[in-house]
Formats: sequence, C-alpha cells, structure tokens
Amino acid sequence: MSLKKNDEMDHNAWLKTQDLTVIETAFLTTLIWVDKRLRIVDYLEILETMYYRANLQMPKSHTEQYDLDNKFWYWYPLYSLGSLSILAYLVAAVSGALLGFYYSPSTAGAAAQGDPTAAYDSVVLILKDVQFGFMLRSIHSWAAQFMVAAVFLHMLRVYFTGAYKEPREVNWILGVILIGLTLFFGFSGYVLPWKQLSFWAAQIGVEMALATPIVGEWAAQLLFGGFTLGQATLVRMYILHVFVLPFVVTALIALHVGIVWVQGIAEPH
Amino acid sequence: MTDDTTPMTDGGTDEEARTDGGPPATVPPDDETPTWSERKEHSQGLSQLTYQYFERSRREDEDLRAESTYVERDVLGFPAWPHETIRNLAIASFFVGILIFISALMPPHFGHPANPGSTPAIILPDWYLYWSFGLLKLNPLNPELAVLGGNILIGNEFLGIIAHGIVFGVISLVPFLNKGNARRPVEEPFWAGVGMAGVVLSLTLAALAIQNFFPFELELLVTLTFLLPVLAGVVTYAVLKTMREGYSYDLNRRYFMLRPPK
Repeated sequence: MSLKKNDEMDHNAWLKTQDLTVIETAFLTTLIWVDKRLRIVDYLEILETMYYRANLQMPKSHTEQYDLDNKFWYWYPLYSLGSLSILAYLVAAVSGALLGFYYSPSTAGAAAQGDPTAAYDSVVLILKDVQFGFMLRSIHSWAAQFMVAAVFLHMLRVYFTGAYKEPREVNWILGVILIGLTLFFGFSGYVLPWKQLSFWAAQIGVEMALATPIVGEWAAQLLFGGFTLGQATLVRMYILHVFVLPFVVTALIALHVGIVWVQGIAEPH
Repeated sequence: MTDDTTPMTDGGTDEEARTDGGPPATVPPDDETPTWSERKEHSQGLSQLTYQYFERSRREDEDLRAESTYVERDVLGFPAWPHETIRNLAIASFFVGILIFISALMPPHFGHPANPGSTPAIILPDWYLYWSFGLLKLNPLNPELAVLGGNILIGNEFLGIIAHGIVFGVISLVPFLNKGNARRPVEEPFWAGVGMAGVVLSLTLAALAIQNFFPFELELLVTLTFLLPVLAGVVTYAVLKTMREGYSYDLNRRYFMLRPPK
C-alpha cells in the first residue's frame, strides 16, 4: 500500500490555477522542483531569518508613527545631544588619564615671579617631548569644549520640547546640577597648567568666594586652600579635577540616565 | 456555596472581584495580577495606606488606558539591536572623528606662565563661562542708597554671586511653574518666549563680559544686555502666536486632535 497523493498538495495543479507571468512560473516551478527533492521548506525559518538579516528594514520613524508628515525630521539630531555629551566626557576622561601620567601639580621651581613652575613645565614637556602629547592636550581641551557645548544644547533641547515637565522635574534639577559641575570641571581644568590666565581666573574665583558672606571664607579655604593662590590651590584644583569631580559627575550622569531609563524618554512634540 | 453565582453575604457574587477586606474597597485589575496586599500582607498603619495607594494608582493607570483614545501602533519602540546600536555607532564615530579633526586643526593656545605680580590687561575664562563672568560685571545695576549716603548696600562681587543664585534658581523652578502635557513651542508661545529670552540673555551677558571689545558706552551695553532678551522673548511670542493661528496649527491638526492643548 502506498500513500495516495492529496489533491491539496498537487502543487502543479495549483500553479495552473494561478495567473502568473513567465518569470513567476519559472521561479515557482524551480522552487517546487527543488523543494520536492531537498525539502527546503524545513529550512524556511533559517531562510527567513537570513532574509531579514540581509534586508534590514528601519522601523517606522517617530514622524511616520504619529503621522506627522515627516515635517519634523530635522529635530532628531538634537535628541542625541545627551549621549554626545557623555561621549565627549569619555574622550576627555581617556585623554585626561593619559595627560595625568606626565602632569605634576606643583608650583615649585619658580625662582622669581613669572617664572615657569613645575606644573607649567610639565605641560610644556607634554607639548614638546611626549609622543603625541601636543595632540593629546588638544583633544582633551576640545573634548571639554564639546562636552560643555553639547550639555548646553541638550538643556535647550529639553527646554524647548518640554521634556522637563511633570514627572521629570527631578531629572531637570539633576541636569542643572550637572551643568554646574561640568562648568566647574572646565574651570578647575583651566587652572591646572598654571599659566597667566589660569592664575587670574583662579584669582577671580577666590575673590568671588571671599565676597560671599558667612560661608565665603570657609569655601575659599576648602576649594582654593586659602585666601591667596599658591601650591595649595593648585593641588586642590588637581584633586577636584582628577578625583572628586570624575566620581561625582560619573555617578550623577549614571543617575540622570537611569532616571531617563525608568521614566522613559519624554514623547517628543 | 460552591456555585459561583450564589449570592454572597455582601450581596455580590463570586464572579465579581472582591476586596481583600481592607477599607476602602479596592478591586484587583484582573485575575492574573496579584494585588499588592496579596504580595505582602500589610494590614495596618502606613504600610497599609501605601499598598492601598499602589492599588489605586495601578487602577487609575488601567482606567486611563481603557478610556484613552490613543491608538497603539505596530511599532512602539525602536529596536536596540541592530537599529539603535548601528545608528549610535554611526553618530558616535562621526562625533569623535570631528572632535579629533578639530583638535588637529585648531590646537589650543598655550600662554605665558603665571605671574602674580602682573595682572593681564584682559582676563577671560573659557567661552562657556562668559555669561557667568558677565554676571560679575553688573555693578552699574547695584543700587546706591541715598540713606547710606550714596554707598552701596552689598558688594559688587556679592551682587554677581546673588545673580548666579537667581539664574540657577529660576532655571530649577521652571518645571514647577510650567506643567501640562504641551510639548511644542507652538503650543506654549509664552514659555518659548521665556526660553528665547534666556538664550539671548546668556549671549548678551557674554557680550557684557567682553565689554572692552565693544566700541560704545558701557551704559548702553548694560541697557542692551537686558533689553535685547526681552525683545527676543516678545518677538518669539508674537511669531509663535501667529504661527499657531496660521499655518502650523492647521498643518498639525492631527497632532492636536491626538493630544489637544489645554
């Protein structure tokens, strides 16, 4: 006894009922011929997976999804500013760690006022003698500028798309704190080479601190190591820049992003 | 009492969802989700209230979801792999590439060593602190009180620090002042105007910081510092108001139908 062929499985008869072009007929005939012998249908899932791997299709964009007629596509780069500032932060961290191998936070070595100090000389060493040192400092400096710029623009984006609204107030305030810390990061880094502008920027910092009633003198001693600038100031700025701020800022960024993760991204426009 | 439709002592039937006994009556959203009280028995005090609230809030969520006319689409999220990852890699590579390119093209200037003995003619921080430096130069605004014989009440530097406090304070207060679900500037011309005024203020303050570069009187510069932001805010407000009543509102009617402005 042999198995009878089921009519439903008569593929050729099915093929005849279809209204097909020559190419389609040829393709299907070949497919059926191969499949009868090799049962490629068993591998269909794998084939499907491979098909979709090879033909990656972007899912609907937000504008398509909300039927906004693609009028607002040019907003989208603005939504990556937060991650770009993190990226610039990482670049600054890596280049900064490398610079830290050669930098020494010391005002020693100046025989007279206006002579180069050990800190200044170590930056000169980085610029002149260290392999790729010039580029390294350039990258570190520009990464800082990029980070600050990205953070400012990120804040503007969040403001003008109303992404700070109701359940997200905490993250907005966290962002304000992070902007302040980013600026202080930049300021402390600006002081480290102990060049003329570094010194006088720090001088303005001390004067600002001292002008504040009650907590001013305490703050000046804590941050600048006294009321006049010197070795203590440089070491404090150094420790703030390479030890305190990295930990604090990294932790706050993690919290900031974590809250975004938990609350979800604010639905744009 | 095995029959589900048998009336129970409270008059309901077993088919209805029942309370867990704690007042006020709360109903689990469906059969599968355990109630908070089932997960952990808290029958008194704050913990009971907490769990009652959680139950209420979950019900509120479910009710809102049931009432909502929001249409769920096929694609609700952007897949992390591979789409988001590849897009991020592309953006990240481009960004770091530009960063390195600019670093190579425009290395920062390295000045003379610090000299506490000679103050440079121009002291400036990096560009991103210009606004802050501008806030330190507000002394023309410091009120000279007649009762004090023309003396100032607070030091000029402390005035600058107060100004910093005001700036950070106002920015922090924004989410507590502006609520609601409006998302576009067009929906809220006032707040967009405030934002533009803030942006222009940061620019004019930066200009105030580098006042030496401007060939006109300081008084005019200080006036402009505070006049231009107001002007920018008013213009933004007017433009957005017009846009809203003009073409944009029409174009985006579908969006407003989806989520009508308050």
